[in-house]
Amino acid sequence: MIKVNNIYKNFGSNVVLNGVHLDVRAGEVLIIMGFSGAGKSILLKNIIGLVKPDSGFIEIDGIDITKCSLEKLHEIRKKIGYVFQEVALFDSLNIFENVAFGLRNLTTLNESEIKQRVKQCLAMVGLKNVEHLNPSSLSGGMKKRVGLARAIAYQPEYVLYDEPTTGLDPIMSDVISDLIINLKKHLHITSIVVTHDMKLAYKIADRIMMLYGGNIIFSGTPDEVRNTKNEYVKQFVRGSSQGPILIEKRFEMERI
Amino acid sequence: MIKASVRKIMEFERFREKLKHTSFVPIEGLGKATKMAQETINDIFKGFVSWKNTVMQMVEVGWSSLPIILLTSFFMGMVLALQVGSTTSNMFNEPVYVGTITSFSMAIELGPVLTAIVVTGRVGAAITAEVGSMKVTEQLDALYTLGTNPVRYLAVPRFLACFFMLPILTVISNIVGIYGGMILATNTWDISSNAFWSEALNFIGVRTFLHGFIKSFFFALVIVIVACHKGFNAKGGAEGVGKATTSSVMTSMVFILISDYFLTNLLVSLRIK
Repeated sequence: MIKVNNIYKNFGSNVVLNGVHLDVRAGEVLIIMGFSGAGKSILLKNIIGLVKPDSGFIEIDGIDITKCSLEKLHEIRKKIGYVFQEVALFDSLNIFENVAFGLRNLTTLNESEIKQRVKQCLAMVGLKNVEHLNPSSLSGGMKKRVGLARAIAYQPEYVLYDEPTTGLDPIMSDVISDLIINLKKHLHITSIVVTHDMKLAYKIADRIMMLYGGNIIFSGTPDEVRNTKNEYVKQFVRGSSQGPILIEKRFEMERI
Repeated sequence: MIKASVRKIMEFERFREKLKHTSFVPIEGLGKATKMAQETINDIFKGFVSWKNTVMQMVEVGWSSLPIILLTSFFMGMVLALQVGSTTSNMFNEPVYVGTITSFSMAIELGPVLTAIVVTGRVGAAITAEVGSMKVTEQLDALYTLGTNPVRYLAVPRFLACFFMLPILTVISNIVGIYGGMILATNTWDISSNAFWSEALNFIGVRTFLHGFIKSFFFALVIVIVACHKGFNAKGGAEGVGKATTSSVMTSMVFILISDYFLTNLLVSLRIK
């Protein structure tokens, strides 16, 4: 279980996270939505320990990762897969080596098992016969899927997805949605998904949260999102330029 | 009155903010670089070394730098022999001390410094550009999430490769430079190769070569620590990587040339000359 308790994160005078609380239940798919720059990716990076909060604590299976030693953090990271927004494949390694990287470092599988697992994970994201290619020879969407295969290859307990369907065509987005659902159903993987893709959110979410002004301003099931009276959530879901979010953003821009 | 006080306070705050962001950057950088070097050395002593990566880096640092080192050292030796012969001919009507000065200069100064400068331009820049690109494309973060410490994975093999290959390149540079000087001396100044070598070896002992050899270990540390530190702290996309690479090369060169003076002082005082 992941518990985020009252975390604050500032970059200079820019307050990104302003006392965020959230609990992620075992086996659920939690969607975090919010406009660009709202701090969703920073929240994910706090959860995996890539960014340290200014205050507050984050517990993963009862261990506070903001205070634990590097060795302990390393152990905890074995339980978490992370799909990067910009993919972050290793340029100097081919696709096989990229997907096998976590398997070699985090598991005790032998070479033939690693080979089999890599093939299996690439097939799960709809990729075949790409093992020998370099990341530079793949399209953006294919890279994204390799990133996903790399994150799930060592079968972590939690997977954090930072905009997993951005840059993918609608059909491949649906494949990724099914993949996240299957991971939950068969491997009981808990997922936190940061996305703007409402179709994906409605299809896979157990709960949807909205991050705004450095805080979680809404939390509910997909049905509750559809029927909410919260003007911020309604505007975001509609994708409308008219509403409280724009008014406040325009006000901020005028102040600058 | 109140307005003036508020303005003064705001000006002071702005000054303090500016001071915080600019003035201590070099000191902060030095601290971070030292910490990274310490972490790297600790990892080496704890045995966290990927020998496969280290050998690959040794090939990159040593073998791939060899042609340019051979070329520059050979010509540097020839230039030295030409200058010494020309100057001593003007002063004494014949070229004297060509072997001595050429080999002495190559062994104690030009060999180690020239090799370090060439390796800075070739290897230091490449390390910063590679690590910096990985930083701005989140590949370093990806390493963390996949259970790998980036310092252990990237800095340790490069550190070992530079530390062991630069002294070897320096020795090769010394030999090739002196050989270049000898070829010029025999062809231009009609000095026989025997005379050149006897002049050279009469004044140069093991300690002279040791002088340059010891320096090269220190220069290797400067190059690799600066290059890795600049790479790990690159930010701001392609432009940031470019700036980090330029800064890495310039910082290494300046450190090499300044530290050369202090190292020379120390080694001379220890009678290693």
